[in-house]
Amino acid sequence: MSGPYRLDGGALDRSRRLAFRFDGRRLTGHSGDTLASALLANGIRLVGRSFKYHRPRGIFTAGSEEPSALVELRSGAYREPNTRATVAELFDGLEAASQNHLGSLRHDLLAVNDLLAPFLSAGFYYKTFMWPKSFWERVYEPAIRASAGLGRLSGEPDPDRYDKGFLHCDLLIIGAGPAGLAAALAAGRSGARTILADEDFVMGGRLNAETHEVDGGCGTTWAADAVRELASMEKVRLMPRTTVIGAFDHGIFGALERCTDHLAAAAGKPRQILWRVYTKRAILCAGATERPIAFGGNDRPGVMLAGAVRTYATRFAVGAGQRVGLFTNNDDGWRTAVDLAAKGVRVAAVIDVRDRAPVAAVPDARVRMNSQVTATRGRHGLNGIVLATGERIALDCLAVSGGWNPNVHLTCHQGGRPVWREAIAAFVPGGRLPGGMAVAGAAAGAFTTAAALAGGHRAAIAALGEFGRPPAGGDPPVASDEASDVTAFWHVRDSRGRAWLDLQNDVTVKDVAQSHREGFRSVELLKRYTTLGMATDQGKTANVLALAIVAGQSGRTIAETGTTVFRPPYTPVPIAALAGRARGRDFRPIRLTPSHHWAERQGAVFVEAGMWLRAQWFPRPGESHWRQSVDREVLQTRGSVGICDVTTLGKIDIQGRDAAEFLNRIYANGFARLAVGKVRYGLMLREDGIAYDDGTTARLGDHHFVMTTTTANAVLVFRNMEFARQCLWPGLDVHLISVTEQWAQYAVAGPNSRRLLEKLVDPEYDISNAAFPFMACGEIRVCGGTPARLFRISFSGELAYEIAVAARYGEALMEALMAVGEEFDAVAYGTEALGVMRIEKGHAAGNELNGQTTARMLGMQRMVSKKKDCIGNILSERPAMNREDGLELMGFTPLDRTEELTAGAHLLAPGASAETANDEGWITSVAYSPALGSSVGLGFIKDGHARVGETVRAWDALQGKDVPVEIVSPHFYDPDGERLRV
Amino acid sequence: MSDSALAARTPLDAYGRTIGTVTLAEIAGLALVSAAVPRDGDEAFAAALAGGFGAVRPAAGDSALGTQPATRVLGMQPDQVFILFEAPDPDQAVPTAAAALGSAAYVTDQSDSWAMLRMSGAGVRVALERICPLDLDEQAFPEGRVARTVMEHLSVIILRDGPDSFLLMSPRSSARSFRHAVELSVENASVP
Repeated sequence: MSGPYRLDGGALDRSRRLAFRFDGRRLTGHSGDTLASALLANGIRLVGRSFKYHRPRGIFTAGSEEPSALVELRSGAYREPNTRATVAELFDGLEAASQNHLGSLRHDLLAVNDLLAPFLSAGFYYKTFMWPKSFWERVYEPAIRASAGLGRLSGEPDPDRYDKGFLHCDLLIIGAGPAGLAAALAAGRSGARTILADEDFVMGGRLNAETHEVDGGCGTTWAADAVRELASMEKVRLMPRTTVIGAFDHGIFGALERCTDHLAAAAGKPRQILWRVYTKRAILCAGATERPIAFGGNDRPGVMLAGAVRTYATRFAVGAGQRVGLFTNNDDGWRTAVDLAAKGVRVAAVIDVRDRAPVAAVPDARVRMNSQVTATRGRHGLNGIVLATGERIALDCLAVSGGWNPNVHLTCHQGGRPVWREAIAAFVPGGRLPGGMAVAGAAAGAFTTAAALAGGHRAAIAALGEFGRPPAGGDPPVASDEASDVTAFWHVRDSRGRAWLDLQNDVTVKDVAQSHREGFRSVELLKRYTTLGMATDQGKTANVLALAIVAGQSGRTIAETGTTVFRPPYTPVPIAALAGRARGRDFRPIRLTPSHHWAERQGAVFVEAGMWLRAQWFPRPGESHWRQSVDREVLQTRGSVGICDVTTLGKIDIQGRDAAEFLNRIYANGFARLAVGKVRYGLMLREDGIAYDDGTTARLGDHHFVMTTTTANAVLVFRNMEFARQCLWPGLDVHLISVTEQWAQYAVAGPNSRRLLEKLVDPEYDISNAAFPFMACGEIRVCGGTPARLFRISFSGELAYEIAVAARYGEALMEALMAVGEEFDAVAYGTEALGVMRIEKGHAAGNELNGQTTARMLGMQRMVSKKKDCIGNILSERPAMNREDGLELMGFTPLDRTEELTAGAHLLAPGASAETANDEGWITSVAYSPALGSSVGLGFIKDGHARVGETVRAWDALQGKDVPVEIVSPHFYDPDGERLRV
Repeated sequence: MSDSALAARTPLDAYGRTIGTVTLAEIAGLALVSAAVPRDGDEAFAAALAGGFGAVRPAAGDSALGTQPATRVLGMQPDQVFILFEAPDPDQAVPTAAAALGSAAYVTDQSDSWAMLRMSGAGVRVALERICPLDLDEQAFPEGRVARTVMEHLSVIILRDGPDSFLLMSPRSSARSFRHAVELSVENASVP
């Protein structure tokens, strides 16, 4: 395209015309444009409305520091608000929309807010909307939310894919301007593994925006050649469109790569990748950000940073205006006037606050030294400025330069605080830098091209030397030092109208002064009171200016005033990128039991148990309520036989000459004399004497045990045991390995369990009661030779076994068990029936082992052997844990058998008021017992065993229940254990 | 007794797929045992390993090949190796290993504990960048290196068994999640 604003030259591919829309208007640009440059090329200066006052806003910068040109990109579920037009790469079909206005962008009804500005100054919402109190939530807040805010969310799930990843390198170079390229060349040529990351889509940094010479030729060409050379190096990874967002511990950096944001469609690939980069050394070459000068009406579209105006002309071939003025306090600003004039753009005026001779000759421009801009004119865009002298100059673009701030952000992520350097009137990196980080180029305050090139080269050589890599590839590139003299100047005191500091948050010089007057004087308080430096730009163009104003107010220096703390991320990161691929079903892994697919085929209802999915019950046709299924499973198991997948229990293989001694120390009860071929129940204590896990351990050989733990504590128990093995008793010969995944294990419970198993167990194995009694174990074979393990243990209170085969046979064994069980009307039961039967039997489980439970409370105090030492033994003897009137695990039945008990109910004496002082205990587990025909509960109550037969109340305020219950034995079912020994 | 033998099911149901330049294939049917070294038994263990499998005992993080083609010994921790081998009878992994090592090691069957996935092809490292936190550069992780790590919350043992080939082992119960995580990495990293 061509037009009054499109210039010759630039780094555009003019053969590729890209069509796009802004607020529905069809426009065109070229490949190589950003949305911002394309809008300017189309003569569009008004691109949005400001956050608070709905002031017209234009494009202010040409980079990621943009505070003003925030737009919505794309449409539908893909719509993304608050996107900076200055970093949005133009593509064919891009849809963009201005944001934050009611009605059209030009006629925003909420611009009325600007008239109310005197009432909306800093901290206004802390002082107003105080009454009536109820109005805050119902009236004020919704109204404020409706009028403020930046852009609209789609309200739909983000349809894009995101990913994460891990990268490793010797040297990470952050920023690919002159310093970064020089560093990368030095590193790459020496063969170091190097990553060069840059947020731009074209590497080269300011070299692409300036007319500097490098090595006697065009700087832009030199940069392109350098990138080509780096791309050819095997050990160098170039990462354009990648922002290093944070410096974390031990040389780890976070980086966001925008993979498909510049494409019309992502084609199923991740839109963005959040990389974790492990580095040996890093060089920050992040450059510098230009800062404005505060003066009256300096937020008007058309007022831009001078370096940005130059970038648009040189790189993007766009004249930001047709009558451009310059307002500066430094030599660098003059280059904008010179470069624009050379491009044929009319430069109408140069205003320099310094009292000295003009820095350069600018043809046809009114040059005003020792002069200041006090006001701007125009409605939706600039049409003129007023100088302190009263002189009026017609302009449609004013390029402003207040000097440059090194991008020190990443140097502060580990607690470093930047230091003030008077010579350049800016903060430079200081204090403790993140480990392994060096800084080069403009980020270190070295503003000239020559200094940047040399600094980058030097930093790379130094970093390589630290890990013993000799430099290769010769001298750094040569350039000259441009004039860059600056005189600190922040604010035009004689401004007419509001002088703006933070364009994104509508913070003015007056707001900062007011904050100071009201006592919010620390920069951290100032930030929170005025919102200065918040949101997507984090005050990149505003902060230092505001600090200077604060310093001026308080009579301190800027160095004394200090900065706010810079934290990651450097630029915004979508929440979706932080989530990566962990969404929906893939939020976390799922563990499946060996019988899972079989259970699915039976229509099982599953429950999450940690990462496991376990069958909760198996509904049969005609069952409309889960209780029907569970009652049936319980009754059928107790009446004949039931089968339950118990693979999820932790299994630990323990071998060694000292394995028995090891277990003796791990468990509270004795294991040293457990016979081979026998299983024993064991209780584990924590160091503080509290019971934390229980299970059974089988002795398969003199030096070989296999332990089961609860499902929930499988990992914790293994970890604690490994700690004990390695750190507490390294002298023992004992070895542990998890076999949870190795074995598929099923409980086969009920009076017919033996008869069922006899049909599967190979005939040479005798599992009769005499040969294989209660608590026996052994290695056997099933189904014609498949090795298996059989344990005669019972959680249900019935004659029961657990049988284990290698996991690969798990599904087949389940099918075989059910097939041979048909003649016994065998039933598969889930975790719910398992729970009912263990409650009926009075076995403790997770609800009882809640981290507050002692062995005594569980009625197991005699299990804590005093003949040996074990973990937790000593501290379990603390008096308060052994009070005679302490809590004891008991059973509870409602006096009215039709009442349902609830877990969590507190136990109160009849007539006692419901308050903590009267609390006697609580109900831990409840179930409907088909065997007893009523609801039953387990729970802890003071001095329980002495109170059997007493009536108390199970009081549950959450469920609105107050049920009289009788204290009974916790063993509701077969208290003498006759059924499991037959 | 039942006379119908139990049918085995592999963790990934013989999964195999090629996406772009990367091929994923379940490795099944091999025996895998852990062998722990009894206290003060290092010399005897090294001798037994050499005699029984023809392999030099690898340090933790390294692996060694045995005389049989499929045999590889993986150094898992200072006093433990995993031995991957072809057992004449897959149900007899422990007896076979125990016969080879005698009393020089405590042997435990791990054949069914891990889903094994070989990932090979030109794009394999670029795909692994998306889930593997380890540095897999040839210098840092040469052929034969083995490590335990975490990928997408899942425990993984990774062995480089070729310039562009890795054997990944992850717990059997979460094999489906693991396969999905690896597959997604390959898809995400492949060139459209």
